[in-house]
Amino acid sequence: MKKMNKYKMMTGLVFTLTFFLSSCVLDLEEDTSGVFSIGSLNTQSDIDAALAPAYRSMMEAYRESHRQRCITYGADDLTTWWGGNKEIFRIFDRFDYGNGESSSHPWLQYTWDQYWGTIYFANTVIDGLKSSTADENLVLAAEGEARFLRALAYFHLVRSWGNMPIIVDGVAPTGDEVRATVLENYQLIEQDLLFAEANLPAPQNVTAVGKVSLAGAKTLLADLYLTWGGWPVKDASKYAMAAQKSKDVIDMNYYSLLPFDELWKQENQNSLESIFAVQFSEAEDIRYIGPQNFHFHSAGGWSDAYPERQFFIDFPEGFRKDITFYSEIPQRVGGGGQVTETGETKPWPESQRNHPMYRKFNIAERKDLGNKLFSFRAVEVYRYAEVLLLYAEAQTRASGANAQAIEAFNQVKRRSMGLPYNVPDGSVDVATMTADEIVAEKGWELAGEYKRWFDLVRTEKVQEVTLRRDPTEEIALVRQPTEANYIAPIPQETINTSKIKQNPEGFKIQ
Amino acid sequence: MKKNFLKHTKLIRILILIISFTSSTVLLAQDITVSGVVTSAVDNATLPGASVIVKGTTNGSQTDFDGNYTINNVASNATLVISYIGFIKQEVQVNGKTTINIVLEEDTQSLDEVVVIGYGSVKKSDLTGAVSSISAKDFEKQPITRIDQALQGRAAGVSVVQTSGAPGGGFKIRVRGSNSISGDNSPLYVVDGVVLSNISSINSSDIKSMEILKDASATAIYGSRGSNGVVLITTKRGKKGKAQIELTAVSGISNLIQELPLMSASQFAEGVNFAEGMDVYSASEIEDLRINGGENWQDRLIKTGYFTNTQLSVSGGNNDVDYFVSGSYLDRDGTVINQDYKRYTFRGNMNAVVSPKIKLSLNTSYSREETVGERADLFAALSRDPTTPAFDDNGDYVFATIKPGVGNASNNPLLAPENNVREFFDDRFNINGDVDFKIAKNLTFNILGGLNTLDRVRNRYTSIIISNNARASVENRKDVSLQNTNRLTYALEKEKHNLRVDLVHEQQQTQTDITIASGSGFFSDQTTFGNLALAPIQRTENNSFSQSIQSFLGRVNYSFSDRYLFTASLRADGSSKFIKDNRWGYFPSASVAWKVSNEDFFKDVSAISNLKLRFSYGQVGSQALEPLATIPVPIIGANVNYPFGGDGATVGVAAPNRLANPNLTWETTTQRNFAIDLGLWNSKVNLSVDFYHKKTDDLLVLKTLPAFVGPTSVFENVGEVENKGIDITLGATLFRNDDWNISSTFTLSSNKNEVLALDGENDFLELGFGGPTGTFPANPTAVQVGQPISSFRGFIFDGIWQLGEEAEAANFGRVPGQAKYRDISGPNGVPDGVISADDITIVGDGNPDFTFGWNFSASYKNFNLDFLLTGSQGNDIYNFTRMKMLALGSAQFHATHADYLDRWTVDNPSNSIPATRSGTETLSTQFLEDGSYISMKNITLSYDFDLANSKFFKSLNLRLSAENLFIITDYSGFDPESTASGSSSDYSADLDIGIDIDTYPISRTFSAGLQLTF
Repeated sequence: MKKMNKYKMMTGLVFTLTFFLSSCVLDLEEDTSGVFSIGSLNTQSDIDAALAPAYRSMMEAYRESHRQRCITYGADDLTTWWGGNKEIFRIFDRFDYGNGESSSHPWLQYTWDQYWGTIYFANTVIDGLKSSTADENLVLAAEGEARFLRALAYFHLVRSWGNMPIIVDGVAPTGDEVRATVLENYQLIEQDLLFAEANLPAPQNVTAVGKVSLAGAKTLLADLYLTWGGWPVKDASKYAMAAQKSKDVIDMNYYSLLPFDELWKQENQNSLESIFAVQFSEAEDIRYIGPQNFHFHSAGGWSDAYPERQFFIDFPEGFRKDITFYSEIPQRVGGGGQVTETGETKPWPESQRNHPMYRKFNIAERKDLGNKLFSFRAVEVYRYAEVLLLYAEAQTRASGANAQAIEAFNQVKRRSMGLPYNVPDGSVDVATMTADEIVAEKGWELAGEYKRWFDLVRTEKVQEVTLRRDPTEEIALVRQPTEANYIAPIPQETINTSKIKQNPEGFKIQ
Repeated sequence: MKKNFLKHTKLIRILILIISFTSSTVLLAQDITVSGVVTSAVDNATLPGASVIVKGTTNGSQTDFDGNYTINNVASNATLVISYIGFIKQEVQVNGKTTINIVLEEDTQSLDEVVVIGYGSVKKSDLTGAVSSISAKDFEKQPITRIDQALQGRAAGVSVVQTSGAPGGGFKIRVRGSNSISGDNSPLYVVDGVVLSNISSINSSDIKSMEILKDASATAIYGSRGSNGVVLITTKRGKKGKAQIELTAVSGISNLIQELPLMSASQFAEGVNFAEGMDVYSASEIEDLRINGGENWQDRLIKTGYFTNTQLSVSGGNNDVDYFVSGSYLDRDGTVINQDYKRYTFRGNMNAVVSPKIKLSLNTSYSREETVGERADLFAALSRDPTTPAFDDNGDYVFATIKPGVGNASNNPLLAPENNVREFFDDRFNINGDVDFKIAKNLTFNILGGLNTLDRVRNRYTSIIISNNARASVENRKDVSLQNTNRLTYALEKEKHNLRVDLVHEQQQTQTDITIASGSGFFSDQTTFGNLALAPIQRTENNSFSQSIQSFLGRVNYSFSDRYLFTASLRADGSSKFIKDNRWGYFPSASVAWKVSNEDFFKDVSAISNLKLRFSYGQVGSQALEPLATIPVPIIGANVNYPFGGDGATVGVAAPNRLANPNLTWETTTQRNFAIDLGLWNSKVNLSVDFYHKKTDDLLVLKTLPAFVGPTSVFENVGEVENKGIDITLGATLFRNDDWNISSTFTLSSNKNEVLALDGENDFLELGFGGPTGTFPANPTAVQVGQPISSFRGFIFDGIWQLGEEAEAANFGRVPGQAKYRDISGPNGVPDGVISADDITIVGDGNPDFTFGWNFSASYKNFNLDFLLTGSQGNDIYNFTRMKMLALGSAQFHATHADYLDRWTVDNPSNSIPATRSGTETLSTQFLEDGSYISMKNITLSYDFDLANSKFFKSLNLRLSAENLFIITDYSGFDPESTASGSSSDYSADLDIGIDIDTYPISRTFSAGLQLTF
């Protein structure tokens, strides 16, 4: 009996415990309370939060000037140090690619990733807007911004690496996509920009200086059409369209040119000359590293990029040249968290890299932020001087230089000599011009600004310019460039992880 | 050898027989009273309850609480038989003596030793699975402080590699190879029944024993977390008897084993001139450097390190309660400047018998680890310009190189360690208790509850002298982990049947909360991270996540006639990391063993004292994932914000960079194990040989996606990996008599790892360590079907184009003096006359063919000599430190390595060092080396003072030790071991084994210590 009781007691104990334990059994759901969920974009704040990464990714591409410029070293506005770790720049400078060689260099992939990042985030915005309950105008303007950024990224991609797979909103890519044609890429960019043009606000109405306006969409559209008229698609009918879109921007009578030295100052970022620029921030310590890319080691930089000698010699003397380049190289030392002037300068032929050095990117430089140079100035993606030259060239190619086109060209030339740009001046004005002259002028006006290479490719002048190259350049050519050098090898990681075929094999125009 | 051995033992036996025979006949028989004390040879502790019996009679007694015994009416020529569980039975001739003190030797090789197997324990002889056992005795004399050191080289199939020589630095432990590609391959650590994530904070002197469960039959009981093996750690308990106080103190000094050969400053300057093709340094400058020397950055950063370890423990108990309390303090600084590590530990273990049916146990431990000091950048310093001194004539730092753009792009390497502040603190607290109810005669119910917490502080400050934008960050992390295990055990021993059934329910949850506050732009270094409000830019981030697991399991152990043993188990695990439909995994196992030596037909084979065959089969799982892998997690943070107005930034919310995959489920490893255990000559020699085969399916792989997809990676269950190998343990008591005791244990492990399949579409995945930004054309390692997980990729370096080969070299765009690489493929899969990414191929791997450990112990009277020799054979190392020192890689401009003196010139047709940096690949067999080594890990000489007559002290032991006394290797880097297991700070992954890049070399340490027992 006693035994029985004890047994009962034990059984009771076990049951009680089992009950107690089963009541504190864990549930196996994850704690997601800190995970922000992306739903539809219903307010201006939702929209800006979703647009921020798309802009950011584009800014990141421009922030690292040397990596972005990597594939453009074949142009004459850029060459690099013969030593150090600049091999990938040298490969492009000497045309040592074209059959997929060097596709695996990591510097090549950086900008590629940023452009695709922009497209991904832009697509997310467009998808999020589809179910938005926000005001229709807000939704359309936001979609315009997203589609402008997507177009800009595609424009850079197709010009740099050739025809790309088409990745747009509404479809989740699998990685099995294949390359569309160059023409299909252009058409996608055109559609996006036409939408953006119709729905973006005028420049005076943008909510923040860093946001794109319809002028940005029109300018990019003009650039697209100009490119469309040249290599590789060569559809000459597009020149008139390029002229029309750039003329639209001029006719807005909103933009103007600043004196060339003023233009580059920190306080003149996002000026009336700026059509679209990527933004940096001192308040958030988001820095542009261009100033160190364009300076020699002895001047506080990395000797990544400087002009070829022939380009410098050809560059017309005058105010613009003095602002664009240093021909007397300042001697500085970096250390202790800052860059210090020694007060010394050296003429460029006796300088550390035996070349002149870009100056304009360093006008807003900061020496107090580290052992190398930085700046916070916004970087111009498109500025008004380029619109004037786009128009001049497009009009000339479409139906011959007319008075308005010549005036646009002259405005840039006048400003380059330090003269008021809108006052005719017989000492610089021309009465006639050719497309080649305009391309040359654009090279000088926008030297080092990630433009020259694409102009040389679209106008098929790479060979011509290379033949003029100073044979004493330290980076010796391995070959004269051919069409195979017009597009860069696709980063190897993408080749390894997708069905994309490497250039030139995968290159399809139409 | 064997025969000789046999002869010896026979001879000894005969001798003993003769001696005892003669002595017993000489003395007269006469009854006396004999008394004395029985103590343990291990720690000189008295043994209460030991049995002392007069041989051939029932006359005898048990020792009392203090180990004393008294027996009356003993014939003066009688023999006493003294026995105590766990000790070797001893017979002593009385020979008329009235006081006989007896010292019993612990029976280490006893097959009846009890082995912890997870949710219970079994007799070693009844094991059916593959389990390695290490007891405190194996390592307690060596000056080790960590559990991983104690594991090293002592268990077959268990690889323990020191990945860093940093004080408090990491060890990587793998049991039978790597199963998972992306997931964690670390074993599961279970301390006194509670799962812990970290063992570096446990004081190795608190350990009583460790068991490593290796095969599926042993690990399946841990189900989803058992696939990488399980390390069961049992901490010390108090012993019945008087309180025992033990004080141990060890101090030592450490130095680098080997420095790297550097060029002198003048040689470097000549090298710069050579590389630049111009006189960057004038002849007079070089002459000046030749006379005055230059800077030696290696010497600036390398120093002698010191350590002390002190600990005190008190233990004791009576029949109802026992206790063990210990505290320790370890202070160790590095062989690289500005590295300091301190560890404080405390442990209190208590057991109580509450009633005959209820037993209670409570274990608590606390530890604090302090890692202080920003580490100097050795990687950059070794390749820095030696013509620039560290300090100018005023004693101020020289920041940049005197000649701009020589050497590399790094700052003065003394700046960061000497000026930045870095303080990492980890506080861990663990408490667990269990109650054991004896419900009925054969039925026991056990409830265990455990709480673990981790408080982690990471404080950093980058001073103004480094960057005018001085930055500080304060990171706090709190992990709280709760575990509950409920076990019902039924045990039955009836005649020849022996049955045990366990039913277990277990649940565990870990909640993690992280807060990071940071500031930048400090105008003063004064408060460092102490006052973030002084920074104009401040930021806060936080993050929380949880993971939980719930399990049900059953296990049956059955043996018949002590010959046939059978074990089967099934565990069901549910994990929060998977969505509902994929949540539960079921993991069965079964094993059989046959004790051949217990069969009647074997009784006559006297040389073989034990022969057992074992076979097991089972499945275990792994949830090798971070939390939240199945749901899309947007990116939020400073990197996706955008300053639309060029000023303050708008907060951005970016789409996920990892594609969510809701279909994820368990990785499953199926393992077979076949083994033979052999004991010879009364178990004087024991041999265990285990053959195993493991196949892991549904591997959780973080796959890289092409950039155009958007998200850059996705977790998928793809592919299969195989590990097969052999573990051998050979232990022997080589010689043993009153004065001598020589024993040796040799372990050998060989594992072959192979990727059998990937996602079906690719036989190749881009995964692994990418190296410093902008350095490599591809990841140095790849995962490829038919190769081990971490296989090295690169170009095949075929020497250098020589004079006379101009035409052939020109085909590849090269000239004599440039590197020659093998053209093995092209876009169409055939050699295309172009050296491109298509010519990158598999060139080696970091996995060894086999590793071994030899633990040898010899004692003569009071002297004891112990050593541990470990080795690795057939592992390759990618020496990227040497690559950088030869002027390759990102932000590296000129060579500093002495090998550069042999560079190719017209007059020196070197075939190893190209003349130009241009055209030389960072990723090639030029930098691949054989990393095989043999290392004298530890050698210790100790002496036990006889303090039997002292009133205060029970024993004193003095010891001298050397760690890493020598390493025999062809490897040209600092040492092959710290690089042999990957450079990434993540010790869990195995994608990049054997990469030498910025490694912290291990050091040679000499130490002296004493142990005093009261």
